[in-house]
Amino acid sequence: MASIPISQVWTVVKYVWQQKLKGNKRYPLVLMLEPLFRCNLACAGCGKVQYPPHILKKQLTPEECFAAVEECGAPMVSIPGGEPLLHPQIVEIVNGLVARKKYIYLCTNALELKKRIHEFTPSKYLTFSVHLDGQKEHHDFSVCREGGYDIAIEGIKEAVKRGFRVTPNSTFFDGADPNSIRAYFDEIMAIGVEGMVLSPGYSYDKAPDQSHFMGRARVRKLFRAVLSNRKKSWKFNMSPLFLEFLMGDRNYECTPWGSPAYNIFGWQKPCYLLQDGYVDTFKELMEDTKWEEYGVASGNPKCANCMVSCGYEPTAVIDGFYSFKGFWAMVKGNFSLYKNDHALKQLNEWPSHSSTPLVQIAEPARAAEEINA
Amino acid sequence: MSAEVLKYTREQIEELEVAPGFEHQNLEGWIPNFATDDEIREALEKAFDYRGDVTLTFKSGERIEAYIFNRLTGPSLASSLVQYFTPTANDKRKASYADIARLEFSGKDRAAGKHWEAWVEKYNQKKAAGEKNIALVPEALD
Repeated sequence: MASIPISQVWTVVKYVWQQKLKGNKRYPLVLMLEPLFRCNLACAGCGKVQYPPHILKKQLTPEECFAAVEECGAPMVSIPGGEPLLHPQIVEIVNGLVARKKYIYLCTNALELKKRIHEFTPSKYLTFSVHLDGQKEHHDFSVCREGGYDIAIEGIKEAVKRGFRVTPNSTFFDGADPNSIRAYFDEIMAIGVEGMVLSPGYSYDKAPDQSHFMGRARVRKLFRAVLSNRKKSWKFNMSPLFLEFLMGDRNYECTPWGSPAYNIFGWQKPCYLLQDGYVDTFKELMEDTKWEEYGVASGNPKCANCMVSCGYEPTAVIDGFYSFKGFWAMVKGNFSLYKNDHALKQLNEWPSHSSTPLVQIAEPARAAEEINA
Repeated sequence: MSAEVLKYTREQIEELEVAPGFEHQNLEGWIPNFATDDEIREALEKAFDYRGDVTLTFKSGERIEAYIFNRLTGPSLASSLVQYFTPTANDKRKASYADIARLEFSGKDRAAGKHWEAWVEKYNQKKAAGEKNIALVPEALD
């Protein structure tokens, strides 16, 4: 079931239809605003922080952030990084965006969240999107830091207690165990978070590790096992149609302009994941980028394994709000548990320890027991 | 990306089990030849992909350290530009390909050798030695 508040859904619906009425073929839904690349983690799979120190010390000013938000006009702003809580003016940036009535997803690894949460004010416009890559051992291994999960959970609990919107955000790599992911869903929903966000990992060009990213076939296999036979307690802060895409039930093309990225280098061409250059203005990004050179249909090998939310969720959102068929599929998806006997069988037969050394976790309860309970 | 990947069709992409990653060359310390236009263009494209600083020597004799984050290629070297930050200035700067006399991949490749297996090996060694709170920590900025 989706967990996005009605006011946010209505803002997006209104925005999408305004664009349609204006005849805009390409428009942004979420601005990916990266105020800095500095981070307090050193994850092997991350391609966002591999820069020399003088680049890592640079950051956008609040004024630069506000100017980018105004220039872009998207109703939602995701603030990834780097670790945004390391930005000395992050509170000012967030407050300025809330004042502009933008729905903000502040992406954080939550190592600093508990310490700094008192500086923020709860608002329907502000969500803490906490990086959690599964159960404790999985997350700690994934972010290359033992104890990272416990600190993040403390931060999440404190944020939930103070009335903030919190949506754990998980990236899954090759070797992820669907039974463990499902057990993680149970654990995290029990804490009282608003909903979960999921994505398969993308093999960033600049990431140190280049060999643990799933191809499309494996992504679909994993997410079909994970997302079929859902529990009523699970809520997702995502379009149900995007989740169906991950499960292999839908074919979508990428909408790279749906989530444009802005950082200290400028507007990133073509999207949040690929760094094919930079331009100075949002207009240049939208008008001068050769969009036909990107996406799976283009044959661009850099897009070959991508099924990531920043490219495909905009496609799903537009599909859901543009046609009655799409809207009806979204409504149905919101209430469906996606019963699927074949997926359940796959889940129960899934090797508990996969080929990579990622899995160093006690075997979670098997799905059949959960379903039959 | 490897040439093998470029041959994949849409159908093959859809059937991919494991994504082929980007193959990084070991460029740290490399000083490319700058004899022809093609060599200059190819070397500056690699500098754009490089995960560390380079040293640029201009035809004027000026020599700077820089992180190249963008390139704008035109029909001639004179109309092609690199954009970069230097460690000592806050503003973005531009230089024409035609003004660059020499390029050195002088800075450290900030991601080289930090692959997943290196982390697992380090983790297992430290675990076996009885250490707790094992982690990879970001490099110091100063």
